[in-house]
Order: sequence, then C-alpha cells, then structure tokens
Amino acid sequence: MISDQAKKEINTWVAKYPEGKQSSAVMQALTIVQKENGGSLTNELKQAVADYLEMPTISVQEVATFYENYNHKPVGKHVVRFCHNISCMLNGSDELISYLEEKLDVKTGEISKDGLVSVKRVECLGACVGGPMCQIGDQYYEKLTKKRIDEILDGLK
Amino acid sequence: MMVDIEIEIDGKVVHGYPGESLISIADREGIDIPRFCYHKKLSVAANCRMCLVDIEGNPTPQPACSTLSSAGMKVHTNNEKAKTAQKAVMEFLLINHPLDCPICDQGGECELQDVAMEYGSDISRFTEGKRIVDDKGIGALIQTDMTRCIHCTRCVRFGAEVAGIVEMGATGRGEDLKIEPFLSEGIQSELSGNMIDVCPVGALTSKPFRYDVRSWQMNSIQTIARHDLVGSNIFTQTHKNKVKRVVARDNESINETWISDRDRFSYQGVNNENRVLIPKIKIEGEWQDTSWDDALDFATNGIKKHAKEGSQFGTLASKNATLEELYLLQKFTRGLGSDNLDYRLDASNPNNAKVLESNISLTELETIDHALIVNSYLRLEQPMINHRIRKATLNGASVSTINAKAFDFNYRISHSVLTSPQNTVATLSGVLKALHDKSSKTLPDYLNSVTVHETHTDIANVLLNAKNPVVVLGEHMNGNTCSDQVAKLVSEIAKASDAKTINASLTGNTHSAERVNFRPDNGKNALQILSSDLTAFALFDVYPNFDCIDSKNAIEHLSRDDAFVVVMNSFDDESVSSFANVILPIASFYETSGTHINVDNIAQSYSASVKSAGESKPGWKVIKVLADLLNLQGFDFTDSSQIADEALSLTPRISEIEVPTSNSKMPNITTVWQYTPYASDVVVRHASSLQQTQIGQMSEASVCKATAKLLKLSEGDLYKGVPVNINESVAEGCVFVHTNLPRQLGVV
Repeated sequence: MISDQAKKEINTWVAKYPEGKQSSAVMQALTIVQKENGGSLTNELKQAVADYLEMPTISVQEVATFYENYNHKPVGKHVVRFCHNISCMLNGSDELISYLEEKLDVKTGEISKDGLVSVKRVECLGACVGGPMCQIGDQYYEKLTKKRIDEILDGLK
Repeated sequence: MMVDIEIEIDGKVVHGYPGESLISIADREGIDIPRFCYHKKLSVAANCRMCLVDIEGNPTPQPACSTLSSAGMKVHTNNEKAKTAQKAVMEFLLINHPLDCPICDQGGECELQDVAMEYGSDISRFTEGKRIVDDKGIGALIQTDMTRCIHCTRCVRFGAEVAGIVEMGATGRGEDLKIEPFLSEGIQSELSGNMIDVCPVGALTSKPFRYDVRSWQMNSIQTIARHDLVGSNIFTQTHKNKVKRVVARDNESINETWISDRDRFSYQGVNNENRVLIPKIKIEGEWQDTSWDDALDFATNGIKKHAKEGSQFGTLASKNATLEELYLLQKFTRGLGSDNLDYRLDASNPNNAKVLESNISLTELETIDHALIVNSYLRLEQPMINHRIRKATLNGASVSTINAKAFDFNYRISHSVLTSPQNTVATLSGVLKALHDKSSKTLPDYLNSVTVHETHTDIANVLLNAKNPVVVLGEHMNGNTCSDQVAKLVSEIAKASDAKTINASLTGNTHSAERVNFRPDNGKNALQILSSDLTAFALFDVYPNFDCIDSKNAIEHLSRDDAFVVVMNSFDDESVSSFANVILPIASFYETSGTHINVDNIAQSYSASVKSAGESKPGWKVIKVLADLLNLQGFDFTDSSQIADEALSLTPRISEIEVPTSNSKMPNITTVWQYTPYASDVVVRHASSLQQTQIGQMSEASVCKATAKLLKLSEGDLYKGVPVNINESVAEGCVFVHTNLPRQLGVV
C-alpha cells in the first residue's frame, strides 16, 4: 500500500522521535502518502499508515479528520484552499468562494469537470493581514479579488 | 509515603492524599459533584466541564476531576459562583442534545437527565437547529444514537485503557466532532458491553434490550454470572418474570466494575424458545409429555431396573451446575453405591489427580511483573482474569506464551513459543530444564534427555528475572492426552521459578465440583463412563454433541438398547432426545438459587432472579426428590442454603496421585479444539445477539502451510466441518480449530 520511497520518507520522520513513539510521525506520514496518492487519502491508506506506525486505525482517522490538510475524497490536480475564517470572511471571502464555485461550476468539495481544480473551505491559514486569501499548493495568494482569481485560475495547468 | 492532608469542602473538613483529585475526595465523603466525563476507573479528561467548583483564591471555577487537592484548600461546590458555572455548562451541553427522553432507552437512568434536573434550567434559550449525527452500526450488542452523544469520551477511553482495543474515537473537530469507530465493522472487544454502562447518556445502549421495557419498571436483583472462573457480580433486571437485562455490580476484589459481554448478554439464552418446559418420557421410542410424578416414577423405576448394582450407574454433570446441584448429585450417585461420576467431559485424559492449584488472587494478579500463559487464549476464555493481567502489563509487566497459535491478546507478548499439543511436553520440559540449569539445581531424571532450545532459555530467563511471576494454564490442555504431564510440568516450572499459578483449564463452576469431590475416587471417569458397559446414566445439563470430547462415541454409547438415561436438562436438544429415556426439565441460569466458587475460592451464593420457565424445577429439588423416591438417606433439605452449608462444611478429599511421566503415544498431527466464548455452555449458545458478533461467528480451522500439505488441505476446505484457513501463526503439526460448531472429533 505504501511505496518504498514513501516509507523511506516516513522513516526519516520516525527517526526524529524517541524509540517506540513512532506514532508521533503520523501527520507527516499522512501528508507523504496523500501526496503520493494524488492529494487524497483512502481508508486503505489510513489503515496502511496505522499498520506501519503500529497504532490503532481510529487514532489515524482522528488526526486525519481533525486537520484540514487531509482530503478524504479525490481532489483535482490543484486544490484551492480558501480561508473562510473571521478576517477573510469580513473582507468578503464568502462572495469570492461563491464566485469561484460559479466560475468552475463546482461546489466546495467537488472537482471541476476537467479534473484540474477543486475547492475547499479551510480554517485560518494565518495570513489574516492579507485576507481574503487562499492557498494553492505551497503558495499563498492574498488580497484576492474576482479579477485576481481569474488570473490565478488562468495560470493553473 | 502517602500523607493525609486536610481540605475543606462546603465548610466540611475532609481528608485526602496529596495529589488526589477533589472529585474523588468528595465522592468518598458523599458530597455530590455533577460529572459526565469523569469515571473512577478511567483517566481524567476534564472535557465536559460539568464538575466545576469554586476554589477560594482562584479567580475562575476549576474542574474538580482534574484539580488536585493541596493542604488548606477551601472548595465550594454549591455557592453562587459554582452554581452559575454548573448551570452554564449544563446549558451548553443541552444545546445539541435532543429532547427525545420519552423514546430513549436511557430515560429514567440517565446521568444527563438527572444532572439536568438538579443543575439545569427549566427552559432552553436555544432556538436554532440542533445538530444531527449519522449513526454507524457497531455490531449486534450496542445500539448507537450518536445524536445524543455529549462527547464525554468515556467509551473512547474505555477502549484504550480497559478493553485494550482502541475502536471508538473522536473524529472531526468543533461542531463536527463525532464519536465513532473507523469502519462499521462492529466492535471486537470481549468487554464491549461496558461501554453501555459508562455512557452517561442514551448514545450507547443495549441493542438486545432496545425498546423492551422502561428502566423503572424492572426489579434489580443481585446475582452472580456463572460462565467463567471469576463469578462476576451482576444485577439481573427483571420484568414480568423475565430477565430483561444484565448490568455490572461493583465488587472491587472480583470484577471491579466491569463484566464480560458473555456475562452481560447471555440472559437471552435463558429466554430462548428452545427450553424444555414439560417432563417427558420415552415409551417404545415415542416421546410423551407427562406429569412430574409420572416422570419421576418412570426415572426411578428405570434406575432400579437397569442399575441393580450401584456400579452400573454413572453420572455426568455440567461444569456450570451450582455447588448445591453438584453436591446433591454426587451424594445421590454415591448413595446408589456408584463412584462413576465426572464433570470433565471435554478432557481427553480426565486423570484422577488435580495437579495444579490456583494460588494467586485476582487483585494480586495486578501486581505481577511477568505472566507465562500456557495453552490458553486467555482473553476470550477468562476475560476478567486477562483484564487483571493487562492491568499488570500497563504497570510494566511482560507476558510470554506457550501456545499452539499466536493469539490476538490485548497486550504485547514478549516471548512466544508456538508448540503443537504433541510437543507441549517437550517444550515445557525444555523450559523446566533451562530453569534448573540457571539455578544449578540437580536435574530430576526425566529431564536428562530433554533438549533445551534458545526459546526455552528465553522464557526461563524472564521467569527467573521476575520478582512476582505467575504461570497460567488454560483450556487447550484439556484436549491433550498428556494433560496430566502438562499440568505437572507447569506446576514444576512454577516451583522452580517461584511463580504463582492459575489453573484456568477448568472453567465455570469447576471449583465447586472439586470442592464436593465430583470426580471418581476409584470409579470411572467421564471417558470411561462413556465407553464401558454401564447400564444406567444420569446426565445433568449435558449436551454431548458440544460438551463431550468424543461426542460421536458418547452419543452412540448412550443410545445402546440396554442403557437407561435420565436427563435433567434445561434446553431441548435433538441428540439428547435420541438417546434419553426421560427428560426432566430443570431451571436454567437466574432461575435457581445456588453458589459459585471462583478462582480465588470465594463462594458466592445467589438467589433466583425469576421463576423457572414452564414446569421446570430447580435442579437441586429434582435431585432431592429422585433421592427420596429411591429411599436414599441424608436428603432432608428444604432450602438450597442448607445444602450449601453442608457442602462447604466438608473438607474436600485430596487425592495424592503420582503423575505418570511416561509419554503416551500421540499422533503426528493433532487438533486443538476451542469453542468461541459464546459457545462455551448451553445458555450462551442460545444467546442470539452474542452469536451475531464477530467473536461469536468465528469458525475457522487454522493450519500452517506445511501441515496443510501433509493433510492435503487447501484454503476453504472443511476440516472436521470447519472451514480451513492457512496461515503461519499456527504451530507445525497441529490444526487449531476455533469455532461455534459442535465437535466432530474423535479424541485429538
């Protein structure tokens, strides 16, 4: 279930914790297998992570559902993680998310028909000063407007 | 060193230990503090906030469960500040809780209901929509209504800390937080029913009990669970002469506050339709219902006619019979001049000697630092004994096993030796020899030619390094034809390593059977009774197709034309009907008074919870009347407690018999036959919900590749009626059958 390459990466994280505390690496392990699986997790993958780190599967599920970083359904090539917490909301994130949904013809949590983009509402990403904002891949996009969103989407391939 | 400290709660001076939580002191002093997430047997979570109290000098109220006492503390549980806090928490907890108490099974015995009455407001200010949670099915025993859940996490902590199998968890976060298992596969723990008891609301309730009757309509009767060696304390809750539910009763030295699922849900068996309700006699091959008088006459006349001499009579009894029944039955049998009696029906070598005693109490078990488990899947065989060992492991104890299969224990096994029945003697001898080598004692002769392997030395080392080790011997020994040697060697290993012992090979009420000497002194044992030319038999709650080691032979033998078989049974059984001549219906569990002697030799007496079903009578009364009709002396009892008094006043005879040390010949490939815990006695076999659980449905013959090849078995074939599963967790040279199906087995 988990590739050798992924295991190797997970092991570097496991090595950072005391012996017997390998389950501390669960977040990194989930991130690694999610990335390898095209951006989302499956029950089987979570089970595999649990087995690999010798921890109960439900404990993996607890972590995986607590954090917004993990997707439990398949996602598009790019995930637009749109903040909807207080600063962004006050600056009009709701309207922008609706605009995004309309433009892509998707609802949050769905994938666009070309499979390129999916939209996710997330909790605060710590960039309140630049709200409304979103994250795509490792990149933050701040002070968003409809025009800016058009540009960003045009740039996605 | 624990030092007593003084604190003040509500103006009352009370004592506690430094580091003791306020709630635990208050509980001891009878001061009421509301709580949901706190449970005395679980870790402190402090997430419900219901137990907020005011501590002088503290600006805000503090949770009493996680605040530790310190000298001079002044605590108020019911001043303005505390009350405001409690009322506010209550309001928050009720925001999402549905107002469905009238259709909730927990209604009337609900902690949330009680606390809301006492500490909550009369009206809700919340007008928004309440949240709804989808339910995941979690099996046949626990009904979930997770919309009612208040996220106290008691069930989650129970799984992680007590059951040792983490199944429930808190997924999502914020308003989306849900308590659920990973998948809807059903809970696997053998202690899962305790989650129902710990749940403070109606989120987890008993599925078999669902919508049956309201809690306030039932009577609660203190009684004892009879399925295992522990005799867990329980309440039977009855309504209109039926047991509707079983819940745990606290007894710190026996079952603490937990009971196994077998003890909790087996009552369904007693209510099963398959009971014998009317006395029956067989005339010219036809069964006829009849009156008690006629049936008893028929039985006594038959015994007189077929057993002209006492030695032609033999008695077999269930290991779950009460002390009173076993005592009277042996008195009856010996009164007839027979010494042919036994309860060890599943033993392939019911030797006369009782080689291994148990000499450690359940509470002491928590203090061991190493356990060696021999021939046992202890977790399923004796859940409460296993629970104590698990508690010891949480304090650092290690566990090693010598078993035919690597079982799924709920703690880590440090050393595991896989060994087939035919190699068990060699393995145990190896360990014993290694122990002798280490302590440089002189070797007894029979160990001279024994080979010691590294694995044997490993186990010997951990035993010798432990300060308080224990050796546990389990059920799989019974099928071993060298069982006397196995027991003897286990006893020698314990002696050589200064270990305590637990003999869990004979379960149920077998300590009572031993107490009243329900085994032959010079007469025939169970195997001999079922293979010699006796002509009259009494069977007491025995169902040979499940209970006897060689069921086919037993049934054939009892079906002989010249055999007269008096059966005292509580359940109807086709094979019994085929050989019996008279069936006298007897009371089942909870329908008769009796006494159970547990592994600590504690005799616990209980009274009947409900009247016997149909025309059935308590077993002791039936045996007494049979004895009276046969003019036997010494049966002048009017009450079962008189029988218990007499039985317990006698000192059991101890038969010192030398154990043979020569190897009896065993085949190259053997079978270990283990029933699921829900097929271990007739009552639990009829408990329908338990049968639907994962443990109850287990039926597979595990065998390793090499042995499968020798037996020409492939995956999915039937081995003695049980589907084959090829895996490498089984010792070479044996098939491990774990099943709920009746035995189709010659001896090993």
